[in-house]
Amino acid sequence: MIRYTLCLLILVLLAVVVQQFLPALTVLNGSRMLLVPLVFLCGAVTLPTPLMLGLAFVCGFLTDAESTLGPHGGDPEVYTRPVEALRFGYSILLYGVMGFIMQGIQPLFRQGRWQVSTILTGVSVFLYLLTEYLLINFVRGGFTFSRGTLFKIVFTSGLTTIFSPLVFWLLFRIAEWSNYTIRLDGLKRGATRAQAV
Amino acid sequence: MKPLNLLALLLFLAGATWALTRSEPTVRDIQATYYRSISPFLSVGSELEKRSRAFLDEVEHSKVLEAEIEAMRTDFNRLRLIEAQFRTVEAENASLRRALDFQERTQFDVVAARVTRRQPTTWWQTMEIDRGDQSGIATAYTVVTDRGLVGKVDRLGSHRSTVVLLTDEACQVSAKVEGTPEAGILQGQREQVGGEPMLRLRFLSRDARIREGMRVFSTGRGGVFPSDLLLGSIAQVISGPLATEALVRPSVDFQNLGTVFVLTPQEDNP
Repeated sequence: MIRYTLCLLILVLLAVVVQQFLPALTVLNGSRMLLVPLVFLCGAVTLPTPLMLGLAFVCGFLTDAESTLGPHGGDPEVYTRPVEALRFGYSILLYGVMGFIMQGIQPLFRQGRWQVSTILTGVSVFLYLLTEYLLINFVRGGFTFSRGTLFKIVFTSGLTTIFSPLVFWLLFRIAEWSNYTIRLDGLKRGATRAQAV
Repeated sequence: MKPLNLLALLLFLAGATWALTRSEPTVRDIQATYYRSISPFLSVGSELEKRSRAFLDEVEHSKVLEAEIEAMRTDFNRLRLIEAQFRTVEAENASLRRALDFQERTQFDVVAARVTRRQPTTWWQTMEIDRGDQSGIATAYTVVTDRGLVGKVDRLGSHRSTVVLLTDEACQVSAKVEGTPEAGILQGQREQVGGEPMLRLRFLSRDARIREGMRVFSTGRGGVFPSDLLLGSIAQVISGPLATEALVRPSVDFQNLGTVFVLTPQEDNP
């Protein structure tokens, strides 16, 4: 399990670097594939809860280190209404919530129905972006939600979902290589009960 | 819930609380460390991208490029002459100001920078340039092109920096309308997707005598941006019961930014 977790961590770090070179697609309202959330979400469903939370912390921390904006600065007498930024660390909580959503369908994944997890990856990214945007509206005031913003969130979620089977395939290969078996807790319990009966 | 999971959740929440309560300088330190760590990868990636683009350009437009280089050389020599004259006039101006005991305006040098990445984040209007503190750049320095204000430096690395664009809601500029006493705060609008980005000039007086086409400049108040930088021109006037607002079309073409200039304080200011 240690080897698998380390590999997953390295995969996240690689995703952080590769993400830097993935452009936003202007034709799709500035949408992009979110590689770090994708690797995390696919990894979250294969890990036990404590390790998922650890990975959520790392991913959220790195995401915020990359994108948190600094304060505007300047004379407060002139800039009387500074625009608030989201606090460093909020992504950690969002990643944690996404991880729990993914783990909600872990039994299905363990039965081999990875397709459901693929769809849930898109749903989780959609919820993540929507929550992030709503938070921006909340801290800055003046709610606006244009059709363009909705399309941006939908297209980004869609693009990310398209690539999730590839990441799952990669994770299965890594699990195989590192002798990590995705534990079949629920199934085992069911089988033991059946044997007892 | 299993005891181990509960313990992990508590630790996770403690970690998140720790991150959420970091002070601004600590966050900046964390970001600087982060950018320092990934900087080698970004440099290699940018270099590869640059080389492949240069190769393709070379193959496709070698004659056009040759002509462009020739024109640039001519321009460069002409500008060098103008700069030499400008320096002489500037020195003369400075000595006259001293003689008259004038309050001297802040002078700037410029550092040219190439835009390496556009829109690296989902929600913020930012870009990355290939200059950092090694080139004498610091946080909140002004970034311009020959057409006007681009934004200001936000995150700083040793060889690259992130610039918050004028089109971002978080970038506010104290602005004035040319030929009128009207002054207000200019800022980008939240999530403008597609099309030409527009800026919003707020807090103008109720009976502001402004009209479409008037140019908007920075006032220099507030200590963030220097004065008289061109910001854009008024595209629409919105009259309100308490104040007038205006939509401003930026003077800079944000879709096609290649080279920008960072204003740095002049070191040999007499």
